[in-house]
Amino acid sequence: MHISDGVLPISVTVGGYVASAAIMAWSAHRTNSEELPKLAVVTAAFFVASLVHVPLGPTSVHLLIPGLTGALLGPSAFLSIGLGLLLQSLLIQFGGLTALGANALMMGLPALVCGWFFQKYKGRTQLRQVLVGGLAGASGTALAAIILAILLVTGGEDFFGVAKIALLAHVPVIIIEGVVSAFTIGFLARVKPVLLKPTFTRST
Amino acid sequence: MADVIYIQIPFWQLYMFILIPSALLAAVVVWFRRIVHNRSAPGEDPDWSVPPLTDAAGVSLFHRWDVRCKIVTILVYSFVIASLSHLASAMAAMGISLLVLVITRASFAKVVLRLLAITGFVSMFLVVMPFSAPIHNGDTVLVFNGMDWLSFNLRGLQLAATIAAKAVAIALLMEPLLSTAPLPVTLHGLSRLGVPEMVGQMVLLSYRYLHVFRHEARRMSSGMQVRGFRKRTDLKTLRAVGNFIGMLFVRSFERTERVFDAMRARGYRGRFPEPVELHLRTSDLFLAIAWIAVGTALIAYDRIVW
Repeated sequence: MHISDGVLPISVTVGGYVASAAIMAWSAHRTNSEELPKLAVVTAAFFVASLVHVPLGPTSVHLLIPGLTGALLGPSAFLSIGLGLLLQSLLIQFGGLTALGANALMMGLPALVCGWFFQKYKGRTQLRQVLVGGLAGASGTALAAIILAILLVTGGEDFFGVAKIALLAHVPVIIIEGVVSAFTIGFLARVKPVLLKPTFTRST
Repeated sequence: MADVIYIQIPFWQLYMFILIPSALLAAVVVWFRRIVHNRSAPGEDPDWSVPPLTDAAGVSLFHRWDVRCKIVTILVYSFVIASLSHLASAMAAMGISLLVLVITRASFAKVVLRLLAITGFVSMFLVVMPFSAPIHNGDTVLVFNGMDWLSFNLRGLQLAATIAAKAVAIALLMEPLLSTAPLPVTLHGLSRLGVPEMVGQMVLLSYRYLHVFRHEARRMSSGMQVRGFRKRTDLKTLRAVGNFIGMLFVRSFERTERVFDAMRARGYRGRFPEPVELHLRTSDLFLAIAWIAVGTALIAYDRIVW
C-alpha cells in the first residue's frame, strides 16, 4: 500500500523527503559508483516483480518485496527502492508525488533492516537460507505496515481508525510475502547462489 | 463550542450511507476500466524513453513551457495543494487541475488509469473515516436506531473527502507534467536544476528496462499457462510465484552485465549526451509566477476565509 497525496501533514511529507534524501546519499555512497547503471537495470526487475499479483480467495494482492530487495541488494536497496518508487509514482500513480519521501522511508528502512538480518543469519545450509529468507520477507512487509501506521497516526487522532485498518489489511500480505520470499531465496540458492551476497556494494 | 448534534435515523436507512455511495463508486470504477480497456490497443502507448525525432513544440502552452520552470512550479504547487485543509479549497484545486488537463489535451485514458490507481487507497479513507473519527463538540453525527455502536460522523466524511479531493487534484497534474515533454528532456531539466546527473540516468535506464522485463515476465507467465499453471490460493501457486520471481532476478542480473558492456562499447563514460538545449524565456517565468500566485491565492482562501 502506497500513501497517496494529501493524506500526511505537510511537515511529515517534507521531513520524509529530507530523511530519505540523506539515507539515499548514504546508500549511493555505499554502492560502487561504477555499478550504478547496473543497479538501475536491476531496479526495473524489482519493479516488475512488485506488480505480480497473488490470488487471495476472491481478490488478489500484489507483493511489496522490501525484504527480498534488501536481502539481494544490501545497503544499495534503499537507492533502488527510492528509484523504483519515483518511477511508480510518476508512471502509474502508485504513491503520491508529495508523499514520495515518506513512501521511500516506509519501504526502504525495512529493506535495510531485513537485508542486514538476512546477511547476518543466512548461514551456509540451504534450509537455513530459506528459513531466514522467509523470515526477512515477512518481517519486511510487517515493518513497512508498522511504519505506514505510524505515518498515518501523525495526522492526528482522526486517523487512528484508518491506521488500524491498514495494519490489519497487511496481515495476509505478510504471510504470503514470507512464503514467496522463502521460495525465491530457495530458488536462487539452488540456481545462482552468488546473488545472495549484496552484489553492487562497495567493500568497506 | 456547540454541542454534538445527534441525528437519529431508522436502521433501514443505513444503506443510503453505505450501499448507495459504494455502488456509485463501483459504477465509476467499472466505467473507468472500460474506457482504459477500449483505449489500450497495442501500439498506442508512446514510449517516452525514445527521444523525439520531430520537434513537437507548439501543441499547447505546456509543451512550449521551459521544462525547468514546469518541474519547479508543479512540485511547489503540489505541496501547496497537499497543505490545504478545507473541502471547498480542495475542490477548487481539483477544478484548476481539470482546467489544466483541458488546456494540455492530455490523454483521457491515461488520466483515468492514474485515478484508478489511487482509488483503493483513497476509498479506504472514505469508508473508514466517517465511522472511526472521534466525536468532538460541534460535530454532526448520524446514529442508527438499534445500533448504538455504529455512528456516522459527518466531520470524518468531510475530512476524508478533503483528502480524496487533494489526492485527485495532484494526480491529475501528473499527466500534464510528464506527457508534455519526452522523458529524457524532463530528466535533463531535473539535472539542470541541481539533481545529480546520475539520478536522471538511472531513472532513464530503469524506465527502459521496465518495458523489457515486463515483456519478459509476460512471456514467462504465458509459458507457465501453456504448461497448465493456473493461479489459485494455495501453497503450490506461491511456490510457482517464488520461482517466477527468482527466475526474473537471475535473468535481470545476467542482462545487466550485457547491457553495461554494450553501453561501454558504444562509448559510455558515465554520462549520456544532452537531449536538447534549454532556453529560459520571460514568458516561461511569467507562467510560473502566475501559477504560483494561483496557489498562494488558494492557500490564502483556505487559511483566512475559513
